[in-house]
Amino acid sequence: MRTWAPPAALLATAGAGFVALLWLWLAGGGEVDVPWAPTLDLRLHLRLDGLAAMYALMATGVAVPVFLFAWRYLPHHLAEQGRSLREQPRFYALLGLFMVSMVGLALAQDLILLFLFWDLTAVASYLLIAYDRQDPEARRAALMALLVTAISAVALLIGTLLLYDRYGTFSLPELFRVAESSTTVTVAAALIALAALAKSAQVPFHFWLGRAMAAPTPVSAYLHSAAMVAAGVLLIGRVYPLLERSPVLLDALVVAGFASMLVGGVLALSRDDLKQVLAYSTFSQYGYVVFLYGLGGESGVGAAAFYVVTHAVAKCALFLTAGAVTRATGAQRLSELGGLGRRMPVVAAGSLACAATVASLPLTVGFFADELLFKAALERGWVFAAMALLIAVLTLAYMARFWTGLFLGAPRTEAGPVPAAMVAPVGALGAICLIAGLVPAPFAAIAQDAATPSLLAAVPVEARYYLDLRAENLLALATFALGALVYAAHRAVPAAAAAVARLGERLGPERAYTAGLAALNGLSDRVHDLEVRDFRGRVTAIFLPSGVLFALAFVLTPTLGAYAVGSFSLGDLPLVLMLGFAGCVAVAATRPRGHLTMVLTLGTVGFALAVVYALLGAPNVALVAVLVETIVALLFIGVLSLIPREVLRSQMRATRERRGTRFRDPAVGLVAGATVFVLVWGGLSRTGGEGDAAGRLTELAPEAHADNVVTAILADLRALDTLGEITVVAVALLGVTKLLRRGRLW
Amino acid sequence: MSSVVTRVVARMLLAPILVVAIAILVKGFTDVGDGFSAGVVAALGILLQYVTLGREEVERTLPVRLLPHAAFVALLGALAVALVPLLRGDPILTHYPPAGAEVTTVGKLELMTAVAFDAAVFVLVLGAVVGIVHAVARAYEEMETT
Repeated sequence: MRTWAPPAALLATAGAGFVALLWLWLAGGGEVDVPWAPTLDLRLHLRLDGLAAMYALMATGVAVPVFLFAWRYLPHHLAEQGRSLREQPRFYALLGLFMVSMVGLALAQDLILLFLFWDLTAVASYLLIAYDRQDPEARRAALMALLVTAISAVALLIGTLLLYDRYGTFSLPELFRVAESSTTVTVAAALIALAALAKSAQVPFHFWLGRAMAAPTPVSAYLHSAAMVAAGVLLIGRVYPLLERSPVLLDALVVAGFASMLVGGVLALSRDDLKQVLAYSTFSQYGYVVFLYGLGGESGVGAAAFYVVTHAVAKCALFLTAGAVTRATGAQRLSELGGLGRRMPVVAAGSLACAATVASLPLTVGFFADELLFKAALERGWVFAAMALLIAVLTLAYMARFWTGLFLGAPRTEAGPVPAAMVAPVGALGAICLIAGLVPAPFAAIAQDAATPSLLAAVPVEARYYLDLRAENLLALATFALGALVYAAHRAVPAAAAAVARLGERLGPERAYTAGLAALNGLSDRVHDLEVRDFRGRVTAIFLPSGVLFALAFVLTPTLGAYAVGSFSLGDLPLVLMLGFAGCVAVAATRPRGHLTMVLTLGTVGFALAVVYALLGAPNVALVAVLVETIVALLFIGVLSLIPREVLRSQMRATRERRGTRFRDPAVGLVAGATVFVLVWGGLSRTGGEGDAAGRLTELAPEAHADNVVTAILADLRALDTLGEITVVAVALLGVTKLLRRGRLW
Repeated sequence: MSSVVTRVVARMLLAPILVVAIAILVKGFTDVGDGFSAGVVAALGILLQYVTLGREEVERTLPVRLLPHAAFVALLGALAVALVPLLRGDPILTHYPPAGAEVTTVGKLELMTAVAFDAAVFVLVLGAVVGIVHAVARAYEEMETT
């Protein structure tokens, strides 16, 4: 295959998807609603409303520069690690899966469908983060991302089922219509919000996001700006009408969002690794969004939507900047870099616009995001405004540190050339940030539309410059002044921030995660040891307690009339004789003489019982018994031929010579046999009563078009059992081929 | 190796055994027998060939090579029979035509999905046994040569 084919195809898909979605959105949206399993109330319900349009456009739109970047990045990346270029298609396939599942998640209107896409994004991100699979750090990070997001996804499922149990529907629009403010709804919404917070890496789940930086740069860029992390916020926006019903939950969102903004901002200030700075910045920025959703109201939700779009564009470009810089210099730490402005002017200019957007400087689209944030916070009270101010200052400081650290000052490293395909996306995204800073109407329009499904009402989102001394403007000015101050003190600040970060590492939730994982591993090892130490021990562990329980049950059951002895006629003589024969052979089988003899005697018992079935008038059962005994005996002999003779003989000798088991084994056998005998006797004494399942099945058989009851039971009335049994047969075949032929079926 | 008489008799027995197996399968719903028994009978017929003629000759002269794979295809088929009703809004493993309705018959064979399910059981059992016999035989040969 040509190496350009997979990325080109993916690019075309992303571009076409973007254009199609944009066109559909401008045309007023669309809807698909197919009940694909009506008995389970499952519907394939996709709808392109404002919220869906925003996230789907982000997922496809951001994908274009990311894929373009990856096209140049990946061959170099693989060559650096000495891996084959053949691994490229896998990368693009996974990225494509990531994109598609994200679009599906944005469009889903049914909670189960949403859960499906939710987990699909988790799986795709797992495989992408662990793309450098020879690197144990990457594998660990991928597992962490998967565990944190997939375990919390269970909370989403539980919340979904709670709602279904109460209202009988998975459909979100219907739920919004019927759900009232009750404890059930609060608990369910809280569980869903929990899953969303874990996905968006909010405190206390933030640790996975920092680790996930082990992924290749395009993956990080995509995961942080438009996919995985955005999914959490998308879910909050999607189920917002449910969250809104309980003010407690909104307050919890404010707390979680503020904690994340603060922790993320401090950590971003303290980190030296480029991608780490950006990762914690993402986590802080999504804290903004959660905070805004928590503030609620028209301005809060509208600002949240606006924030997500601006962040997606800017953060994607910043990650690509980090990738381009590392490609050019080979360094990935702020302390090793500097003065690249002259060597990489386009990257510097593009990332300046984007960093300014994140830091909310005027003339970029980010400015309006902060204006909206301040407006929403002021509406709730000055405490919230102070919180917002604090965070905005932190953001400005770490963005300034990031950009000036890279592009200003004295050059510290040699910078090689970077392919145009890696530079152009940064420049283009930077240009978008600037243009939207002058003409913010498109961004405002999509944010306005995206806020509508969350509030179930039209929301005005206004983005324009006011040249007066209103509170928002004053707060923005304060941000710039304080931010510059914090940045000026940047020698002291990162040191303090690093101290906080170290404390967090020492006591933080990652420690709980590691300890939990270790404990689970230990438990699993112990259970494994208990279970597989030896076969005899395992059998004993299962059969002995259950045998004791059976015996107890018999002792405690009233016996009067439970054991009937029927009448005996001369016609039953053959039956009794045959049973006696079977018993004698069974006793003979206990005398060890050799493995082959044992197989044959056991087979004889089976054949004798088959005759008993035939005499009892059950030809079907008799036929199966004969056939099964034959084939089992033959296969047994075949398998015995695989074991060397000496081994078989020495095993036999060992059994005979083991003194201790001489009386124990027969005693155990006798007790077990007696118990089963009594059990069967008791069971047979009660036929024909109310619980006569056999009788009912016999009546049903003719209606199922069968004169043969047994076949009707196997293929129709109890077909699910049969399905399970034939699956066991297939698995047995797999097991045999695996053991004997290393998995080759032929 | 077995004597000429045994080999010839085994050869001659194969066709009748398979016919009996098919009969057991086809008549399963009206007479003694079902897919499982039919599968075991057919497998015994092929096992007889293995025992008397040896693995190599059997696999050269009879098209048994694809039977283990067919077992898994049959499992898929059974699953399809089980799940298709879901698409029509019925519980899984609902058979068509439904209880009490008229069934087209070809001789003793009734055309309904339960029979297809039974046929899948037949193929699966046959394929699984042949696969296991083949695996044991190959493992034995490998042990002999080393």
